[in-house]
Amino acid sequence: MERWVWVTIIITAYLGVTLAIGLAAGRRTSDSVQGFVAGDRSFGLLVMYFVTGASVFSAFAFLGGPGWAYSRGAAAFYILAYGALGMAPFYWIGPRVAALGRRFGYVTQAQLLVGRFPSRGLSLLVAVLSLIAFVPYITVQMRGAGIVIETVTEGHIPLWAGALVAYGIVIVYVLNSGVMAVGWTNTFQGIFMVTIAWTLGLYLPIRLYGGVGPMFEEIALSRPGFLSPPGLDGSGAPWSWGAYSSLILVSIVGLMMWPHLFMKAFAAKDDRTLRRTVILFPTFQLFLIPVFLIGFAGVLFTAEPLAQADSILPFMIMETQLPAMVVGLFCAGALSASMSTGDALLHASASVVVEDGIRPWRRLTDGQERALMRGIVLMVGAAAYVAALDPDSSLVLLLASAYGLISQLAPPVVAALYWRRATTAGVTAGLAAGAATAVFFWLNPELKPLEIHEGILGLIVHIPTLVLVSLATPAQNPEEVETFMSAA
Amino acid sequence: MSLGTARFLAGLYFVAMLGAVTWPGALPFIRIRPFVLGLPFSFAWIAGWTLGAVFVLWGLDRVEGRYRDAD
Repeated sequence: MERWVWVTIIITAYLGVTLAIGLAAGRRTSDSVQGFVAGDRSFGLLVMYFVTGASVFSAFAFLGGPGWAYSRGAAAFYILAYGALGMAPFYWIGPRVAALGRRFGYVTQAQLLVGRFPSRGLSLLVAVLSLIAFVPYITVQMRGAGIVIETVTEGHIPLWAGALVAYGIVIVYVLNSGVMAVGWTNTFQGIFMVTIAWTLGLYLPIRLYGGVGPMFEEIALSRPGFLSPPGLDGSGAPWSWGAYSSLILVSIVGLMMWPHLFMKAFAAKDDRTLRRTVILFPTFQLFLIPVFLIGFAGVLFTAEPLAQADSILPFMIMETQLPAMVVGLFCAGALSASMSTGDALLHASASVVVEDGIRPWRRLTDGQERALMRGIVLMVGAAAYVAALDPDSSLVLLLASAYGLISQLAPPVVAALYWRRATTAGVTAGLAAGAATAVFFWLNPELKPLEIHEGILGLIVHIPTLVLVSLATPAQNPEEVETFMSAA
Repeated sequence: MSLGTARFLAGLYFVAMLGAVTWPGALPFIRIRPFVLGLPFSFAWIAGWTLGAVFVLWGLDRVEGRYRDAD
């Protein structure tokens, strides 16, 4: 039997197991919005650890991480640098958010904000910003899945079919089991992707160079400067410290503000679980080490630089003549990375659109809400799929600025939890000004001072606006503020 | 250790880490040698701070836990 057939069999088996886990996961939750969105607040440490790790690390980390190390050298280290810093504040914020969720029944980020700053407009603004950041992100995950399947089956399964099957399965289990499916499939996929990354990351340098140290010795000799931060930019010229440092900073601020991650605070069983998830997260983060090793192994492996740096991992897998079993397992690892983020994103986008974009304006029964969420999962999935088929899709470009928009959710969250004098007008004005600034500099990158990330520039406008407008407008009703704050 | 001290030290660790991985604090540590476990020094530098975060948060949690239990 030909190799690609074996590979296809392994991928099929992997997808079958994922689907079975996803469907089985939903059996024990209630058929309610709380069950669909927050899993009846029942996630223990094992699930929280993997749901957090596997949702954070997407196809971008698994394919883009090696791609960055391969083409941009030490610039890739930024991805390793921000994780622990971005997660740490959640040690304090997470339990506060969870307490508010239990007290007032919140299941989304915007509900929490609106609980403190009553405004349907604010709720809609958060929903719209989240969706703008989500759709390109899902598109990239689908494309990643399609590309991997197409490469390892030597083109026998084209991108459109691979992405369709992988995400067809994701949609089936998300529709059926909601966040429980996301939790349990991510546990399976998380274990898978970490194991595959460490195995390949250590195997490839040993096989090709005789070890990790010898590999870096050779790279240091032939490419001076390549291994020193801030590394290279996309065109291969030295990158600027302003861009490198501000990208780390905006990623720290934005990381836990992604609604699909933030919302998991509502799904955790208790505060202890949440805190331990934060404590252990950096151990998951370290799986980026082997991921980068794979990319560095490619530096001296390819005679001509690859046009698509992101394909370095599948390229090396195919070129090193590994057994079909290993190729299949690698593919399953890459699919794990893609699907574990994609499912969380699809689920969160439906939750956010319905809970924050529609429900404040129309009364819905619990059953109608769940039905509507399932409809949105399908619609968002279909929209992202269509975009994923177009290699020149401008949606993919949008992803570059997703962090710029998402990081703007941080000041409102911090103000809601810690600043009694913040007002609805202040928060709304700050969010609008910050998002507008980020979009402006994203569209006009040549105007950015010191190549600082547009998200940081947005925050520089956002925070003073929030503070000044809050102080210039009458304080919120002290009793309402007290009720909210005392629950946190 | 008191709760205030533990929180201050943990906060200090993360501020120091932010300084150590961005401009200008990272500059003195931009070097390839010595290799640490086969990794170039700059790479191991960031990985080390990341791993250290686990121990810092774990230590903080032990102190916080004692105070929570006392409540």
